[in-house]
Amino acid sequence: MPDDTTHADMTELEQSLTALASMPPDSLLRRTVVSVGSADEAATTDSPIGPVWIAWSTRGVTAVSPLFASPLFDDFALIHRRTAFEANHLPNELAEAVTSALDSGDSAGVPIDTTGIGTFQQAVLGACATIPAGQVRPYGWIASEINNPGSVRAVGSALGKNPIPLLIPCHRVVRSDGSLGNYAFGAEIKHDLLIREGAILA
Amino acid sequence: MNAMPHTADSHSRGRDIRRILIEDFDNGFTAMVREYQPGIYSGARRLTAGPHDAEDVAQDTFVRAYKALSEYEPERIAELKIRPWLWTIALNLCRSRARTKAAEFEFQESDAAITDEPEAFDEAAWVARLGSLNDAQRTAVVLRYVLDLPIAEIAEATERPVGTVKADISRALDRLRLTMKAEVLHAR
Repeated sequence: MPDDTTHADMTELEQSLTALASMPPDSLLRRTVVSVGSADEAATTDSPIGPVWIAWSTRGVTAVSPLFASPLFDDFALIHRRTAFEANHLPNELAEAVTSALDSGDSAGVPIDTTGIGTFQQAVLGACATIPAGQVRPYGWIASEINNPGSVRAVGSALGKNPIPLLIPCHRVVRSDGSLGNYAFGAEIKHDLLIREGAILA
Repeated sequence: MNAMPHTADSHSRGRDIRRILIEDFDNGFTAMVREYQPGIYSGARRLTAGPHDAEDVAQDTFVRAYKALSEYEPERIAELKIRPWLWTIALNLCRSRARTKAAEFEFQESDAAITDEPEAFDEAAWVARLGSLNDAQRTAVVLRYVLDLPIAEIAEATERPVGTVKADISRALDRLRLTMKAEVLHAR
């Protein structure tokens, strides 16, 4: 019986049947996991701080990461934990919204997907997203916006782990003494971004 | 050659995938699709009308699996025999597709001949040969030989007793031998 036959014992017929195996098209895995929202797609685009990786799900942008921080797609996927499949470019509509948001500093037109992010960080990022271009707010402002005035340090750390920088403008949050504070990509870039937006003087 | 040999390796990969599914659902799901979708496609390719149907079945199987798994408790995932479970879903999809096709295998023969990639063996002849089997025989022989699934897994996937599956395979092989003998006689 065929139960435990090794290939050497197979009849010619059985071997012919094994030759009927075939491989799916390369795109099938990606189409499947992207369609259920289990993985993202990602592509590069230009931004005020140079080329960035943008990842998106069926719900919106899930991650932004400058190429100088993660030059390779593999690094990017590692940083953002969710599997993302490299695409040639963003879908047209999303590309237009993202380009316009990066240019103007107003991200209201970009769908953002924060699925999988903890509720505290979601609240912090939500408050941060309301700061208009050309303005800054202290960390304490976010803490009080989310009705958690004692959480200033936690706010700083939640912003430091912002998966969607630039589009969620964590660079607009500064220290209460007016100094710029930290930025994931360095204080100099934070400074340049704020000058570009007219929030501080050169 | 075979997409999924039933070795100790495949058992430990199944265990790893169940663990990731519980700890990190989306990454686990992607790993599951990566591991099992090629086999589902390869089998569906021989149990449906053509490459297009096989792609649909191979995608829909995992869309359904995703919905089901996202509602399962971790304990249930921990005990899930993933491959036969996926095949139960896939076979239902293959069957409902076959039902909706008006002229089942006559149609498939021409479809395969037109749309398929050129292959070393006689594609159209094999479509006709498999078409000469009944559903249960065709399913059993495809899962056993094209996919190299163990009999016990085929029994689980098809929800039939092991003895019945063995009998189906045995009859299928007899039938295929007869068909091929007849082909030779015709060719003379």
